[in-house]
Amino acid sequence: MNMDFILQQILNGVSLGGVYALEAVGFGIIFNILKFSNFSHGAVLTICAYIGFFISTHIVSQMIPALVITAVLGGFIAVLLEKLVFRPIRIKKRPLTYFFVTSITVMMIVQKTFSALWGRYYFPYPEMMKSAVTSFGELVVSKIYLMMLAITAIVLLGLTIFLKKTKMGIAIRAASSDSWAPALMGVDTDFIISLTFFIAGILAGITGFFLGMTYTVTPFIGELMLKGIIAAIIGGMGSLGGGVIAGILLGITESIIVAKVGASVTPILIYLSIFVLLLVRPQGISGKLYAVKA
Amino acid sequence: MLEVKDLVVTYGGITALHGISLKLQKGQIVSIVGANGAGKSTTINSISGMVSPKSGKILLDNESLITKPRKIVNRGVVQVPEGRRIFPSISVYENLILGAYRIKSKKQTEKSLEKVYSWFPILKERGNQGGGTLSGGEQQMLAIGRALMSEPKILLLDEPSLGLAPLIVLEIFELLQKLNNEGLTILLVEQNARKALSISDYAYVMETGRIVAEGEGRLIMDDPVVKRAYLGGTE
Repeated sequence: MNMDFILQQILNGVSLGGVYALEAVGFGIIFNILKFSNFSHGAVLTICAYIGFFISTHIVSQMIPALVITAVLGGFIAVLLEKLVFRPIRIKKRPLTYFFVTSITVMMIVQKTFSALWGRYYFPYPEMMKSAVTSFGELVVSKIYLMMLAITAIVLLGLTIFLKKTKMGIAIRAASSDSWAPALMGVDTDFIISLTFFIAGILAGITGFFLGMTYTVTPFIGELMLKGIIAAIIGGMGSLGGGVIAGILLGITESIIVAKVGASVTPILIYLSIFVLLLVRPQGISGKLYAVKA
Repeated sequence: MLEVKDLVVTYGGITALHGISLKLQKGQIVSIVGANGAGKSTTINSISGMVSPKSGKILLDNESLITKPRKIVNRGVVQVPEGRRIFPSISVYENLILGAYRIKSKKQTEKSLEKVYSWFPILKERGNQGGGTLSGGEQQMLAIGRALMSEPKILLLDEPSLGLAPLIVLEIFELLQKLNNEGLTILLVEQNARKALSISDYAYVMETGRIVAEGEGRLIMDDPVVKRAYLGGTE
């Protein structure tokens, strides 16, 4: 392996990993607050991949405005799902399995509906950049990947600032360790949960747009969210930062293995290594244990 | 100031409170004592809006206080929950900031923060630490400090002495008295009856969802029934 090859794969991997990082954070932020694996995240992602196609072909063809509209719509779709589907379960204080099964059901309904309606068609996003690649010396980089990476970095930075510096952000983080007590401080817990879904929806919207733009839009595009879930698990559930790091590491590893041994064997190797990693370090990269003293 | 009238609370089919009534005057420390399961926490959780009563009234300055928890906080009634409920996932400083969630003005938040730090200098020192890293006594101080951040008129405390070393308990109770001297009205729920009664202006004794005795703190302490049941036989 020469240096250029490795650098090239790292570059590709970081862009790809950025998308996994967005997925991991979108998935993780809901897991933190409601403690269930939210597969409906993939449903929002799928819907947004189609919305992104529609907006960029029929409304605005510039990438940024089309992305912003898609992301915001993704946020609202997630809030709608929360209010219609998850809130009733929460109010009735059902076990976590209900959330989990419901979220899978939502994912299936969306997947099957889109398959039935538009499964036969091909939806290519419009060309959003004039020249597709740019080069640094020996390295060739896809411009769209660079753009995705920059947007991912900005979004994650913005989210970090929101979660650390605003009262609402602090309330979201507080509610992820105790969802009962914030109300005593005057926090509207229902609103905080809706807000969390809105954030997750925005992230699903961005991911859906990115995946739609770089892959083909299919009803099964939401399944790509699995990599994000894996990143969230490797990162240590409960740690959004860990999910981001794991997402990027996963992207790099995947790029290198794909380039070395081919795309068909890669998933097997990746899943096997995750298996081993979790045996060695079940709490993930940055998983911490908290104790509340009596 | 605060008045509870014929409050009935049920969980599923079980009645937790059978129509209790109590009063809290401005500037007082009032305590509710009684054994585990007597309905003390249910009473305090009803006042803070965390439990919805089936019937009865809760009045603050003659206006109903049966509403959402955040509106109750807005009206200056704030609860320090049983077991502190410190958020381990955020820092000590952030725990305090969350206490000022309803306060929009940054300046006022700063002012409250300074005040809380002056009561509890240790919290300033530990500001950047995770809430879960504090000792039990420090967590109780943080829980009280967090509640004070919204500048309440009435502080509700649910078992503040639970699980703390006797010396720390003493410190916490002295602090409550100081806060009371500064004008804070306090409703205290305690299993540690002797301690609670010694600082209370008035007290209620609860048993299985009913108030079975009430009176001035020191008088209740001398009540033979209360003495036998909650304070241990001899002094």
